[in-house]
Amino acid sequence: MVNQIFYVITVPMVYLAVAWCLVGIAVKVARVVKAPAHPFTLKVFPDKDHPVPSAVWGALSMPTVRRHNPTLWVFLILFHLGVVLLILAHLDLMPWFNIYPADSPNMIGNGAVGVVVTAAILYFLLRRFASPLREISVPADYLLLFLLFCIAMSGDIISWANSWSENGFVLTKQDFGGYLNGLFHFSWDDPAATIDGGHYVVLVTHVFLANLFLMVLPFSKIMHTFFAIPLNKLRRG
Amino acid sequence: MDAKLKKELIQTFSERLSQAAKMYLENCSRCGLCIEACHAYASSPETRYTAVARAQNIRRIYEEYFKKGKIAKKLNEAVEFSDHWMEKVYETAYTCTGCRRCMTYCPFGIDTGVIQGIAKMLLITADMEPKTLEMLADMSIAKGKTIEKTKENFATAAKNLEKEVLERWRSEGGEEVVPLDVQDANVLYVALAGKHSIIPAAAIMNAAGEKWSLSYFEAVNFGAFVGNPAKTKEIAGRIIDEAKRLNIKEVVICECGTAYRVMKHMTGEKPFGVITLVELIARYLEQGRIKLDKSKLPGKVTYHDPCQIARQGGIYEEPRYVLNHLTDHFVEMTPNRQANWCCGGGGGLVAMGEKDFRMKSAKVKAEQVKATGAEVLCTACENCHTQLSDLNEHYGLGVKVEYLSDLTAKALVQD
Repeated sequence: MVNQIFYVITVPMVYLAVAWCLVGIAVKVARVVKAPAHPFTLKVFPDKDHPVPSAVWGALSMPTVRRHNPTLWVFLILFHLGVVLLILAHLDLMPWFNIYPADSPNMIGNGAVGVVVTAAILYFLLRRFASPLREISVPADYLLLFLLFCIAMSGDIISWANSWSENGFVLTKQDFGGYLNGLFHFSWDDPAATIDGGHYVVLVTHVFLANLFLMVLPFSKIMHTFFAIPLNKLRRG
Repeated sequence: MDAKLKKELIQTFSERLSQAAKMYLENCSRCGLCIEACHAYASSPETRYTAVARAQNIRRIYEEYFKKGKIAKKLNEAVEFSDHWMEKVYETAYTCTGCRRCMTYCPFGIDTGVIQGIAKMLLITADMEPKTLEMLADMSIAKGKTIEKTKENFATAAKNLEKEVLERWRSEGGEEVVPLDVQDANVLYVALAGKHSIIPAAAIMNAAGEKWSLSYFEAVNFGAFVGNPAKTKEIAGRIIDEAKRLNIKEVVICECGTAYRVMKHMTGEKPFGVITLVELIARYLEQGRIKLDKSKLPGKVTYHDPCQIARQGGIYEEPRYVLNHLTDHFVEMTPNRQANWCCGGGGGLVAMGEKDFRMKSAKVKAEQVKATGAEVLCTACENCHTQLSDLNEHYGLGVKVEYLSDLTAKALVQD
């Protein structure tokens, strides 16, 4: 029974979550695109000479945060850069995507990227418990950060703490690569057949939480990933 | 609250959901950066006076009626329309001056003004809008409809101002001192109801030898204050029609920030230019069409950037250019320009009275003025002028609050 649940989580649920996420994002974006444009300009002066590049740079570098809360800015930059690196690191697990050497037992960053991201999430979560942020936070803010924290922690166990054992990685980068490659090629193979051992349950937990996150994403404020640039464009005219 | 009204409120809300509004309502990460941006919170640190808390009052309704999923609604603290919640909506609409300083803090640039606009329309639908503002807006519209009947009285009133204009600038014989209905004029000057808004501008334009005409209509747009787009358009439309009829090159808006923003940015394309009086004065100085005597303005002078012409209009350097022709003792406020603190009187608060809240919420402004050590506090917006005068009295700042146009008119050098 447990094996069957693990299979559902690691294979069919992944497809469902990804499809759900992509459709959800498309619907959300379409709803905004279909809405009427605002009847007048919302820009803030002074004018920017090149509003589009300026909006892109503004969304990526968050100059207003740097100016008004440098500590938060440092954590935000670390978090967002870390997430980009983690996406690359997950792609790099595939045998045909070699940023790190194919025979390396490590993910990109040797586990450090995930730890930095975890620390940043913990900072975002803890600051919400302090006033006045506590007063403006809603339960979804805490739960989303908690979910992200759990995903990052379980990821850390896989990619970093996994290497603490005397014999090196219990599960190697190649093991995970085989699993992801199977998913990518719709093999429907049970990853338990090739990846087994004490840490497998951590992988299942990580995948389950990531599935949840993908399913929640279109309905959450994480949608700012897609709207940060258009939003920044509005204030630049 | 009855079901019919709820339905009407949902309809009103949905009609206000532009692309921008949707993005603003769905993407706030409640990072809290905007908390420190609001003058009301900086003066009286209550969470309800933050941009994010005001927006949450509207966002929570949005979660209820425009988003799906029972769990998501619970987790986002969705609320239904109720009499109690409409009080919160009122707080969103009328504890905010629409200064948009918070936009310069927000990583996404969320415009509280747009969310405030939704709140104001909801209040209108529920018949809870401030009746003073509604009445003033209706009076402006009525004036537009009966203008032919009142033109004669207006002309007489304008004639009565001539003596005071001539005291500032002695015009050539035969020239109209306060001209009306001038076809093909370069400038249609739109003043406020009150001679203080006409006399200095008339003297300056006469000194520059401008071909100008005084508008029959007052610039102020109470439709914008009350948050009714239809009335805002109708009130501005009176002036647009007048400018078209006279084939005007440029409409010059007096020292009224909201009137400028509405005319410049909120009423679509027009066959004439729109500038502020401050820009016109700066242009005259640049072209050498007027000269100013610096000895007329002794003592330290500081300038308050009105949000609606500065942050919302980009008029930052022109007033400083004029002031540098008026005095050698100009001192900047800190912060200034885009980061300047709002005076606390915008968004209709001055027109509504609300003196207790205005004084409480603008303590930070009073402290900012005091720190300059200036004797003269100058600005270019009627709302700001009234609020700053009230702050001056309330906090005993001991400054003289002046209009930039008035200082200019008093310093005109007669050849």
